[in-house]
Amino acid sequence: MSKRESLIRKTNAAIEAFKSQRLRWVTGRSQIKVEIDEKRYQQVVDSIMKDEIERHMIIGAIKEKGLLTVGEISQLTGLQPSRIIQHIIALRRNGVIGEAGERNRQYLYQLI
Amino acid sequence: MVKEVSEEFEPLIVAFCCNWCSYAGADLAGTSRFEYPPNIRIIRVMCTGRVDPTFVLEALKMGADAVLVAGCHPGDCHYQKGNYIMEKRFGYIKRVVERIGIEPERVRLEWISASEGGKFAALVREMTQQVRQLGPSPFRLISNSK
Repeated sequence: MSKRESLIRKTNAAIEAFKSQRLRWVTGRSQIKVEIDEKRYQQVVDSIMKDEIERHMIIGAIKEKGLLTVGEISQLTGLQPSRIIQHIIALRRNGVIGEAGERNRQYLYQLI
Repeated sequence: MVKEVSEEFEPLIVAFCCNWCSYAGADLAGTSRFEYPPNIRIIRVMCTGRVDPTFVLEALKMGADAVLVAGCHPGDCHYQKGNYIMEKRFGYIKRVVERIGIEPERVRLEWISASEGGKFAALVREMTQQVRQLGPSPFRLISNSK
């Protein structure tokens, strides 16, 4: 993956992440009140931000290339396969992506 | 006559200025004849609270070398807490910018009131100098090398 592709992919993912409801809630858009200390709250926001950016990188890759396996997503995004599988579990649960057959004995994923 | 094209890097700064304070401050800088570099492109918004993080990221993606968000001083917001919302949001914007691999110094949040024309001009001068030292935005470098 070239530097250009990587930077654009990351920026697009960050833009999509900031549009997501999950990140909007915690970055104060919806002004929610939470009963935890500020440091812990920042850690939670950072973790959600990281997750959302990575998930949108995965979604962006599938949107761009069509059906992809975990290995192919890893090559396109530069993320570790174990991390991709964690996100795929969450994205499947949320009904964003689903399985669509196999290629080289690996599951293919598509957007729903 | 062949016109020579300068190779020297000229930064492009996108500024989101709030209508009630910073935009009026920029206007005052102009009417007071304060000199500042022409590297800034001002976008007027009603309040800094209106500036979505995606605006900043899109500006960088489209080739801005730096982004300035300028609003009313804390406590002076026309909409009471728009600038407080932005201040909180800005921390997240900086962290995301750093995470995607862009220097966090390329995004700045400043408070400029309607009477601070001199401060606006000084800020633009200082920021232009800072961005000149940082060099072109990674997006610009990439599109030039392509």
